[in-house]
Amino acid sequence: MKVTRRKLARILAAAAAVPGVAAPQAPSAVSSGDEDLNTAREQLRNNAQQLAKVNLPMATEPAFRFKA
Amino acid sequence: MADFTDDIFFGTIGEVGAKLRAKEFSAVELTRAFCDRLERLAPRYNALALSLREQALRKAREVDDDLKRGRVRGPLHGIPYGAKDLLAVKGQPTTWGAKPYAGQVFDEDARVIEKLQKAGAVLIGKLAMVELAGGGGYRFPAASLTGPGLNPWDRTRWTGGSSSGSGACAAAGLVTFALGSETSGSILTPSAFCGVTGLRPTYGLVSRRGAMALSWTLDKIGPICRSAEDCALVLQVISGRDFEDPGTAGKSFTYAPQFARKPADITIGYAPVDFEEWADPAARPDFQTAVGVVKALGVKIKEVELPDFPYNALTGTIISSEAASIFEELIRSGKVDELADHRQAAGLKAAMDIPATEYLKAMRIRTLVQDAFRRLFLDVDMLLSPSRLAPASKITEPLDRGSLGGRPQPKSRGLNGLIPAGNLAGLPALSLPCGFADQMPIAISLVGRPFYENQLIAIGRAFQSQTDWHRRRPPVGV
Repeated sequence: MKVTRRKLARILAAAAAVPGVAAPQAPSAVSSGDEDLNTAREQLRNNAQQLAKVNLPMATEPAFRFKA
Repeated sequence: MADFTDDIFFGTIGEVGAKLRAKEFSAVELTRAFCDRLERLAPRYNALALSLREQALRKAREVDDDLKRGRVRGPLHGIPYGAKDLLAVKGQPTTWGAKPYAGQVFDEDARVIEKLQKAGAVLIGKLAMVELAGGGGYRFPAASLTGPGLNPWDRTRWTGGSSSGSGACAAAGLVTFALGSETSGSILTPSAFCGVTGLRPTYGLVSRRGAMALSWTLDKIGPICRSAEDCALVLQVISGRDFEDPGTAGKSFTYAPQFARKPADITIGYAPVDFEEWADPAARPDFQTAVGVVKALGVKIKEVELPDFPYNALTGTIISSEAASIFEELIRSGKVDELADHRQAAGLKAAMDIPATEYLKAMRIRTLVQDAFRRLFLDVDMLLSPSRLAPASKITEPLDRGSLGGRPQPKSRGLNGLIPAGNLAGLPALSLPCGFADQMPIAISLVGRPFYENQLIAIGRAFQSQTDWHRRRPPVGV
């Protein structure tokens, strides 16, 4: 079934219009795209550093199995 | 014309079903009343993605025909519910809460929707969610096509995510039950913050076919309801093997309270430090009372500590790697920049560079996590902890502040980290409302070994027979 342009517009309008909301809208991220990307990469580096500290026996296999 | 009071809107599956079968109202009248309420009130909480009134009324007419013939399909027959908008509904938009997918339509129902359809439940709406279930890591509650989830208890506060609409609608009596999903916290968090009962099933108990995938090895679909028993009734319908989902475990769930072990035969592991030091000070009194209620059920109690692993780093690596693969086209096309939360878009982009060796290391450590929990469950039957350490935050606050709010970190880890840990090990969890802090709901969680749902629900029911937190109602319409 196709989504008509009218229906799509209703969905996006419902997303934009928030009647009777007492609270202020939350701010979007104020930092630049590069800053966010650097923050995300830094987080992944931190994750890797934490995983590197775990004593991992060589014989330990991943928690998934392939079945023929 | 029936008079639909709050007792019906906030009723359990059993209560509403009994009135329907007693012909206090028809299924069409019930559906119309819930649709009116959902359409009128859900936008106040940014909780509604799409009303399904027309198809709901068609289904309700089928239900009334069945009931006229004396044919009752089960406890969910005629019960109005909502589904998180990552579950496909044939011919209707399934947005995944994200602008790049706003016009997406699937030509078949998700398996759980099919099963609920066969059981006679009436789907009345698709419920709002955090975009892409928050997989890239989001910084603000506004990370959604529908805006921040606003808590029915206080609309300046967040519902929690990513099943934000499901939590809000269940809490505000806009649906009798809702379907949510959890990769790491997305059923337990909105359940806790909104004061409703949520069940994260064992990984593989419920088919993921037709649900947006965020992380193949962590995603689970589960109910958010008004009671532990209601969670059991929904799980009974949606569980089971599915050959079209290779992750299903080949088991189903049959609700069997008559075979549950007595509380005196159950050993519950908990860490006092969770409730005395990790928990927000405002939450500690009601948490302590809740622990007292659990002890008074007659269970045996044992102090335990969570096995020592870097759980957040593990879930971060696994979710990021799997999500980057799933959403590779979105990322490479640049459409990822259409997401509402810049941090989430950046997280998905950065995840493209995680080496395979890093992902495999995380999955190997995950084996050690599972082994450690198997050893832990030799000594205890289930674990008890706060579902979340503090009540819902303000919607203007960033979500990366940390759970201690500036307080010093306790010396003992207790069971802190149980959400990522339990998800890594595929364990079931039941979140139970247990009080208030700063006038906002708080909850405790019971976490069990795989496929232990009947026992978790038995203790949950016993807890709810001694308390009424799960029956409290937010000031809807204010």
